[in-house]
Amino acid sequence: MEFPAALFPSYFGAGPPREEGGPAPVAGWGEHGQVLEGGPGRRQAQPAFVPRRGATGERWEAADAAAVPVLLPSAGSWIPSPAPQDILYRSGLCKKLRAGKSGATLDFARQLGHFFVDHPEDAFGSLGQLLHKNFHLGNSKLKRPARNSTIRMTALVEDIDRLEARRGCPRQHLASRLRWFSHLCRDWLFEVPLGLLADCLHEELMQQWSNLLFDDSLTGGALAWLPPEDGGTPVGRLVHPGGQAMNHLYFQDVVLEELPRARGSPAQFELSGRVRQVAAARVDGEDFVGVRSDYHCGVWRVPGRTGAAPSPLQVIRTDVPASCLTVSPHLPGELSVCTQSGTVYLWSVGTGLQQLRHDPQTMFFRDHSPWRWSDFTAHPRVLSCADRTGLQCLDARAPKKCHFDLFKVGEEAGCQQGERVVLPMYLGRAHPSQYLVTTQFSVYVLDERLPLVPVLKWAHMMKAPPLFAHLMPGNSGRSHQVLLGASRTQELLLLQYRGGSQSACQLAGTPQKLHSIAGCLQHLPTQLPHRQHLLQQRLGAPAAGLAATLQEDGPQKSMLVFQLSEAGDVFCQRLTHKAAQPPAPPSRDEATTAPGSSPLFEAPASSPQGLGAAALRYRRWLRALSRVCREPSRHTWHPSLSQRRLFTRRDLEGPAGPSSLQRQMRQRLRQAMQEGGRIQRWEPSAIQPPPLPQTLEPAEGPDPLSARLTAAWAGDWEQWWEERTSFSVAQRQRALRERRRRQKRARGCRSLSASFTSSLTYQSELSELSDAGPPLLSPGRPPVLSQEGSPPAGSPAVGSPPASPAPDEALLSSQSLRCRGIPKERRKTLRDYLSVWAEGPPEPPEPPGSQASQLCIPSSQSQVSSASQPRRKRPRMGF
Amino acid sequence: SSHEHKLNFRKSKEACLSYIQDALLQKQWKRAAEFLTCYVESLEKDYSREHIGPSEMIWRVGTEILWHHPQSSMKEFNCFMEQMKTLGVKRYLKVCLEHVFHLLCNGQIDEAYQNLSLAESWRFGEQTAIQDKEMKLIEAYRGLLDYYSWSKQKNILLENSEDGFSDLAVEQEMHGYFRKAAVNLKEIIKIPGVWDVFVKCYVDLLEFYGDHNEARQVLNEYAYNSKFPANPNAHVYLYQFLKRQGESKKSLISALKILHDIVPSHELMIDFNTMLQKSKKRKKRRLGLEVIFAALDYAGWKENAKAWSCLARQVKQIVISEKHLDWIKQEWNSRKDWWPAFHFSRYLAKRNWQENKSLSYEKALVAGILLGKGCKYFKYVSRQGCKAQLKRFRMLKRFVNRHNPVYLRISG
Repeated sequence: MEFPAALFPSYFGAGPPREEGGPAPVAGWGEHGQVLEGGPGRRQAQPAFVPRRGATGERWEAADAAAVPVLLPSAGSWIPSPAPQDILYRSGLCKKLRAGKSGATLDFARQLGHFFVDHPEDAFGSLGQLLHKNFHLGNSKLKRPARNSTIRMTALVEDIDRLEARRGCPRQHLASRLRWFSHLCRDWLFEVPLGLLADCLHEELMQQWSNLLFDDSLTGGALAWLPPEDGGTPVGRLVHPGGQAMNHLYFQDVVLEELPRARGSPAQFELSGRVRQVAAARVDGEDFVGVRSDYHCGVWRVPGRTGAAPSPLQVIRTDVPASCLTVSPHLPGELSVCTQSGTVYLWSVGTGLQQLRHDPQTMFFRDHSPWRWSDFTAHPRVLSCADRTGLQCLDARAPKKCHFDLFKVGEEAGCQQGERVVLPMYLGRAHPSQYLVTTQFSVYVLDERLPLVPVLKWAHMMKAPPLFAHLMPGNSGRSHQVLLGASRTQELLLLQYRGGSQSACQLAGTPQKLHSIAGCLQHLPTQLPHRQHLLQQRLGAPAAGLAATLQEDGPQKSMLVFQLSEAGDVFCQRLTHKAAQPPAPPSRDEATTAPGSSPLFEAPASSPQGLGAAALRYRRWLRALSRVCREPSRHTWHPSLSQRRLFTRRDLEGPAGPSSLQRQMRQRLRQAMQEGGRIQRWEPSAIQPPPLPQTLEPAEGPDPLSARLTAAWAGDWEQWWEERTSFSVAQRQRALRERRRRQKRARGCRSLSASFTSSLTYQSELSELSDAGPPLLSPGRPPVLSQEGSPPAGSPAVGSPPASPAPDEALLSSQSLRCRGIPKERRKTLRDYLSVWAEGPPEPPEPPGSQASQLCIPSSQSQVSSASQPRRKRPRMGF
Repeated sequence: SSHEHKLNFRKSKEACLSYIQDALLQKQWKRAAEFLTCYVESLEKDYSREHIGPSEMIWRVGTEILWHHPQSSMKEFNCFMEQMKTLGVKRYLKVCLEHVFHLLCNGQIDEAYQNLSLAESWRFGEQTAIQDKEMKLIEAYRGLLDYYSWSKQKNILLENSEDGFSDLAVEQEMHGYFRKAAVNLKEIIKIPGVWDVFVKCYVDLLEFYGDHNEARQVLNEYAYNSKFPANPNAHVYLYQFLKRQGESKKSLISALKILHDIVPSHELMIDFNTMLQKSKKRKKRRLGLEVIFAALDYAGWKENAKAWSCLARQVKQIVISEKHLDWIKQEWNSRKDWWPAFHFSRYLAKRNWQENKSLSYEKALVAGILLGKGCKYFKYVSRQGCKAQLKRFRMLKRFVNRHNPVYLRISG
């Protein structure tokens, strides 16, 4: 561990930052910073100087025109997180106001309205029930006695609608009626006192808004790359979250080829919270993967050999959301955890948690952010801990006594006013005592042997603060590659630096922008507008993680950069290393663009010249995406009732009470259910079933063989033969018709259980009969009847065989009943009832396990059970 | 509509700047240059009160482009820089300094010197704090270049004196350079900061002229002034100076002791340990053990064979003499819960054996004593060593077996 013999000169001041600052678009260009005599010794005639910034670096060039998807989009549509337009007040007037003043107006009233509509039970439950008789929702005039105790709500609703229409109008006045109503009931109508509710909502809104401006829960990123073993097959592992709520953790084998390719299906773990961060480190040839969600942190061990299954080791739960989880690169199974309450723990799988520090206040000056971070340093027992104001190092053996300041937002590091720490990272793989600190303006490299004075500082000029960083150490004197990634803007920046032991730290080469996920949009074929919009939304989702790896394939070196988006997509891009050629030939990108042309005027379709295999990958990805987006998953799709339809005017204008016919029908229904019987015809007059249309084919008696045997047994076989040969056909027909009529009359009232058994026997008869020949169909019988009447039991000639699983079956399957929220004990009853009603064969007993029936519920049927369904919740923020 | 015009102008300015930025970040220097020629127009109506105005942007972007543009030349660069110097008074010194840096990196030392002299004589009203700092830096760099000229003359003079004749003019010139360099260098190193190069040069000058007291004072100030950052190099320079001066062991040790306190992982700790081990005093030898244990705590020392051999030697000495086993015990106490996993895992035994046999020998010795003969690291290495029929590994095994009771005393 050598220390550079001489460092670049710099001033060292103390105290708060003096330089006024702000985001500066080009602040990082055109500066050498300082120079230092370096290179070959002083023996030469002239000293040779090297700059702190501006030395030549390695040349990396993008191999493709855009980043390429690595994995197919996962099933289950993605629910985008709230966008600014969801919670901001939208109106022309406000926009104008906002242009003048800074600051956004949150649409508080709309969110409160959403709450009342979506959770009426929670908002008005008890009083709503008490008072519902006193609210009239119709258009009709109220009658005299009712008027004293009933309010007509229709007018109020109209007033509200009118108010809504005039939204944002400066001269809006509350309708007096509304004012009167709200004055009257503001204090008692709400289940939760309105002031309290409003406070909570406002707090939540502010929280959401600040998350939209800057979401620090993603710090560190939720993507990790576990590189293949040295000299092994080029199969690494990608650890990333997925699923609709990003609560599944996947360990996916990835083969490093020209385009990295997923191999096999991933090892998958379902977690109980959204995965915020995935951190990994390799110790003694094994990878340790730490996973952070808000209230849980877990650690997995992944053995080094390829194909070995990851095993979960331990999980901890925190009361306050955790803000950081890092894995020790020194000792197996050691991690550090920070929570938003300002507590730092050293977590070792063997011995549990050790609290190192608890301080809700920030370290160097007061800052409101509860964000804390911690990482390891060159000494396995010394941990750094950070908040927005700086970094301190603590000795875990005596955390109260032994600590020193590593970085301070202040004059010491030449910070600007308002600068805050965004992401600290231990750069141990590049140099054991180096540290990276990013702020919203700059990136610093620190050496813990010289605390407080950054050995490198550079203004990164990124539009959003870099929340993700990845280091690729350059071995044996080569420069180290550092990738910085921002979340909201998906920016990716590649930096290079070298030095730290024999020579002082230098930034090498110029920073380079890499492709973002959304950048591929211009290369994709044009889509239908709504598809384009979906695609835009999907690809433009904020980035959620970053990982990269260097791949050496003989002389050819390349870098693979993976980027994860909040939608769960993992994209990858390859950069190839070019040997340094001092007179650099114009890069490919520059050559393709004519002089004077700007990216604005490029034809978007003409650019993807490098998309060969990539284009194929894209096509597959797009196809899968459209499949995912088109069919909403069965489990998430619920039939919903539009609320507006509950109170259409036509509904309300109808006769106030049920008509006599309806009353009669209801009574019959109730009676039938009590008796366990069934209703044959809905028409009240249909107590006697109408005569069935005449069947044309002659009904047959018992089959000739059994008749003959019976006759033989009785001893009058001769007579039978006589009859058989001489009995007039007409006579026989008459007798048969008579018998048939008798049978029909007897069928008038049959119990439910009887119909059950009969239909069962009917089934078995049918299967027996199928040997004898196809049963005859009744062509003249209208098919409607099969729903209204029941099949003539025991007469196989009439019913039609259940050819294919009818839609009703899907309706009745326990799966579908369950997913409609019907309690188990009622499922059987309902199934029985519906099966009779729909005349289907009875459902076999509930299948063991969960055989997901893949049948769709026909839309006509969905109305039936929608009443028993919980209404689908509107995706909306806040609660 | 003039307002609208202004707004549109600002918008197109911003758009242009973003194209430039985009081109720069993709290393498309030609394209960036073309956009920059358009952006120059923004200077005309510069109403912005932003942190970085258009003139500074043009300077920064233009410099960056000229560094990398395939067709740019040094002449063009100088020309551009001269223009930029006139563009903003506040930035004059900064631009001068950057210009000088570029000249220095391209080996144009004389031009750089001229520029520095010019900048030094520049006066414009009252200087801000930042300008003051920049001026000090300009003077310091000029002092540095004077120092290089001095050292060149000195070398000539030394060569000449070897040949047997002296040149008075050269000597005069050399003294002139010394004076100029000393004045400027002395100034900057008074201000808190990291001034490694300047301090080194100044001390070299002073030592040449025999002013050892001043040199010592400068180095002491640089190392021990609490307003300065805790720069390990300051202590290293002082230590090297003391060594050159032939100072006593005691003062060398005290200098290194302070370095050990601030940077226990410094590479000089090996020298420090050797120095302490040789000492007759028990306390010093004790400190030596502490120093080498502390150094090996750091990840950067993990595979340092030299450090391990230092530790192995001292531990062996203690075990053989059977005195001061409590020293080892005390050091081991705070490490026994994590050193085994950090240094003595089976994985590391395998790897060290493959990569560096002598390192694994030293480590196995230490492991065998600290963790007993049952330790994974020791077992693996000694077995491999015996298999490979290496004599010293067999002796190692015998040694550890013989002294196994020590382990019980240390861990107990």
